[in-house]
Amino acid sequence: MASVNDTIAAIATPPGKGGIGIVRISGPDASRIGKEISKKETEARVATFVSFYDSRNRPIDQGLLIRFKGPQSFTGEDLVELQGHGGPIVMDLLLKTAIKLGARQALPGEFSQRAFLNDKIDLVQAEAIADLINSSSEQAALGSVRSLQGDFSNKINHILEKLIQVRVLTEATADFPEDDIDAEIGRDEKKILEQLLRGLEGLLNGAKEGEAFSQGVNLVLTGKPNAGKSSLINALCKKDVSIVTDIPGTTRDVVRDDALIGGITFRILDTAGIRKARNEIELEGVKRALLEAEQADIILNLVDLTENLTRKQMEELEKNKRNRELVVYNKIDLVDRFEDFDNFLCVSAKTGQGLDILQGRLIKKLGLVNSGDSIFSARRRHITAIESTRAHILRATNLIENKSQSDMFAEELRLAQVALDSITGAFSTDDLLGEIFNNFCIGK
Amino acid sequence: MDSFDVIVVGGGHAGTEAALAAARAGAKTLMLTQNIETVGQMSCNPAIGGIGKSHLVKEIDALGGAMALAADRAGIHWRILNSRKGPAVQATRAQADRSLYKAAIRETVEGQPGLSIFQQSVVDLKFKGQKVDSVVTDNGLRIKTKSLVLTVGTFLSGVIHVGLDKQAGGRMGDAPSNLLAEKLRGLNFGVGRLKTGTPPRIDGKTVNFDLLEQQPGEPDRPTMSFLGKPEGHPRQVLCHIAHTNEKTHNLIKKGLDRSPLYTGKIDGIGPRYCPSIEDKVVRFSGKTHHQIFIEPEGLGTQELYPNGISTSLPYDVQLDLVRSIEGFENAHITRPGYAIEYDYFEPRDLYPSLQTKKIGGLFFAGQINGTTGYEEAAAQGLIAGLNAARLCQDKELWVPKRSEAYIGVLIDDLVTMGTKEPYRMFTSRAEYRLILRQDNADRRLTPKGRELGIIGEERWAKFSEKSDQIEQLANKIKKIFISAEDKNVNAMLNKPLGREYSLFEVMKRPEIKGTGLLEAAGLKDISPVVAQQIEIDCKYEGYISRQEKEIEKNRSQFDQAIPSDFCFESIPGLSNEAKQKLMLIKPKNLGQAGRIPGMTPAAVSLLMVYLKKEDSIKNVQVD
Repeated sequence: MASVNDTIAAIATPPGKGGIGIVRISGPDASRIGKEISKKETEARVATFVSFYDSRNRPIDQGLLIRFKGPQSFTGEDLVELQGHGGPIVMDLLLKTAIKLGARQALPGEFSQRAFLNDKIDLVQAEAIADLINSSSEQAALGSVRSLQGDFSNKINHILEKLIQVRVLTEATADFPEDDIDAEIGRDEKKILEQLLRGLEGLLNGAKEGEAFSQGVNLVLTGKPNAGKSSLINALCKKDVSIVTDIPGTTRDVVRDDALIGGITFRILDTAGIRKARNEIELEGVKRALLEAEQADIILNLVDLTENLTRKQMEELEKNKRNRELVVYNKIDLVDRFEDFDNFLCVSAKTGQGLDILQGRLIKKLGLVNSGDSIFSARRRHITAIESTRAHILRATNLIENKSQSDMFAEELRLAQVALDSITGAFSTDDLLGEIFNNFCIGK
Repeated sequence: MDSFDVIVVGGGHAGTEAALAAARAGAKTLMLTQNIETVGQMSCNPAIGGIGKSHLVKEIDALGGAMALAADRAGIHWRILNSRKGPAVQATRAQADRSLYKAAIRETVEGQPGLSIFQQSVVDLKFKGQKVDSVVTDNGLRIKTKSLVLTVGTFLSGVIHVGLDKQAGGRMGDAPSNLLAEKLRGLNFGVGRLKTGTPPRIDGKTVNFDLLEQQPGEPDRPTMSFLGKPEGHPRQVLCHIAHTNEKTHNLIKKGLDRSPLYTGKIDGIGPRYCPSIEDKVVRFSGKTHHQIFIEPEGLGTQELYPNGISTSLPYDVQLDLVRSIEGFENAHITRPGYAIEYDYFEPRDLYPSLQTKKIGGLFFAGQINGTTGYEEAAAQGLIAGLNAARLCQDKELWVPKRSEAYIGVLIDDLVTMGTKEPYRMFTSRAEYRLILRQDNADRRLTPKGRELGIIGEERWAKFSEKSDQIEQLANKIKKIFISAEDKNVNAMLNKPLGREYSLFEVMKRPEIKGTGLLEAAGLKDISPVVAQQIEIDCKYEGYISRQEKEIEKNRSQFDQAIPSDFCFESIPGLSNEAKQKLMLIKPKNLGQAGRIPGMTPAAVSLLMVYLKKEDSIKNVQVD
């Protein structure tokens, strides 16, 4: 859960390769961090041209630093804005440095939340902030290991498994000293810790090499065959490509294309029309579609307005949609009951009507509202978590030899787990005890 | 009969601490028990303390409770567990002579001013509206009270199983409280069913101890109470360890068709950390033997408690399995083992003060809330009794926080997460484990206890003296410097100093133990308990200050109170699941809301925003 009295930092400008990017830092340590990054004592509320340095004194960028003294600031706390060149690498370095110097990565909506809690924003705006915070659930889903694919997720899960293994041993021997656990399994924590450290280092190297933005997000397009999915892809990709590039093997496979929206690559996957399959090949197509939908960051469910849906049916669709799902109604140009569609996202892939709103909603769905967060930050969050995990494991390794410090050793492992929780989801004491009871015959 | 401020029903570990705490807090208190002779009875194993449990006992002691002092008067064999593993996971355990323990508790209860005992079964509770009014006893007496604490243990609809035979009972030889159970079920409290068991007791003169492994007690005997002295302990005895073998396991497997556990006669859920011997044999079939701790029942009896073979198999199987154990070939069973099933009430229906959410002035403590263990029961008893008294005195109710005491962890876990199996304390349940040690329970809680008015003069004087000494020494060691050439000090270290360090810095070295370094630095006559506190404070300084920072950081927001009438339903954007959980638990503050299983950080942030929006951040009491 977010704390309200530590220092937070985030990239405040929309993600992408804009001309100028802003990193915002708010909280009790903001002034100090600003001073350490710029190596300059700056006057409050005066834009000062400075060089930005990382924590090892290497120059990152040049730009403007503006310092606000609380409560005269957006959040009501001490706040520092670093305005640099907007490239993602520079912004990430600035954010990373702020985190190294003691700030915590802000959650979506957190700047606004603080502004509100400090009476800087009107109560009327509370609803808007609630929306913002709500979008963080989706952000969290995006950042969760389930939404990550392939290698990274495998490696993280492997690390989690090892960490739990060594914690189970440590906690079991502490809480059940008379149950012969040492003898039963032999003390191989040291070996597991070495494996853990190697795994964490491998992950960090991989993560740093990767080009964050090139990863993009997966958007799965679902809907009946005649809903206009192909036209929508063409419209979003702003090019007239043949969309029936079937991958060999089946005739009903997934079609892919990329669209660049707000500086982020959306990999659009068009699924076979989900309906009752008439033969085995279609069945396979439907299966794949469902599988793709499961792994998607966003599911865009396209509905044909010319099917004369009632308002009630549309409300049903909105009510029953999945967490990552966006229901979009196509062919608004062919119907004239506008008054019925007030609160629904209606577009025309053909005329382009409503597409800008759709693009905005797609970015918002990712949790990329004006909260100063981005996919990039989500990755940054992972890296911060992994670095912190590694630091605790390293300290645990130094404590392992001395039995009289086994309680400190256990504490470092617990802290490592807490750090990893932000990627993997919480692992409670009850989960830990469950593991212990499953693995060992405990109890007199 | 007179009317009372507080009536406590039950004279077990929860009941006695509840009645004593209420009376210490100044309430006119009555303890109602079915049988005065069983006040302070240890119904299960004859030991007090253990991992996580001695933490609770020492906290109860630090708040003026009776359990630790009774254990000091009854402890016939003492162990320090995890003695080499670091102070935060160390624990003390005493094998207790049952009759000495019971006598010590009875003497304390009888000697407590403001507390009366009355031998009566309670058959009915009377309410006025949604508030406690009086209790009705089996001879028709109606006694008025302002607060009522129920500590009825395993007596609610208790059923005892031996083999396929079953009988109603709250403990072997005692009747269950079925009328009371019926009454409570009628109040719509959530009810669950749990199970626990005991091993068969053995006649010691039929056991060949020469074939058993000896387990001596601690030569340097610890005490449980801050006021206890090893000289006050009774005569000390040995414990022994025996083992089951493949023959035992085969006998058990053959008897499973007459096991109430494996024939579906028992629905109650038993504890995973204290399984019956038949469970161990079935679930861990790869193990060729299991340990049995042979514990003496007391100084004046030959009876033994073979800890590790609790069972509900029929008597003939029990006898065969006991006799298959080396050293027990000719053993005689004095009392067969049995399983007991009993009702417990959903602890999430309680406020942290242990007052029920449904009936004002009604408190529950002990096994009725789904816990197991004397220590867990006593801890709840003390808090319920204290708050029962404070409620009728119109004082703010009090519960320690998770960062202050294991008692706080225990209660917060129960009222926030509920429990599916009998709840037992473990040190791994405490996220602030490095701060919540058994060695500093007095420093954590006695000042608060004094403020609450439940600490007597003798304890307070002795505590103040110790705490002054610690403060003085803590100041001194930062001002005394050890030169790099100091031969005495360098001899104690693995790596020589190299430069001048303050005594405080040198104390942090892991090799430094006891008062040796202090003496080398010219600080003579430092009491070992004071030196120990300074040593731990120095060595754990980094961790302790990190945890303290975390507590401080969390304080402002996590302590933010949620009004009891707060409408969770009115928060848009909160999932229905989250709303339901919040409405069930009615968390007292944001921290508790965040700990409800399944609550997301986003949901808590939303709650924070809406608490502010409703502008209802009033000073809400822990009622």
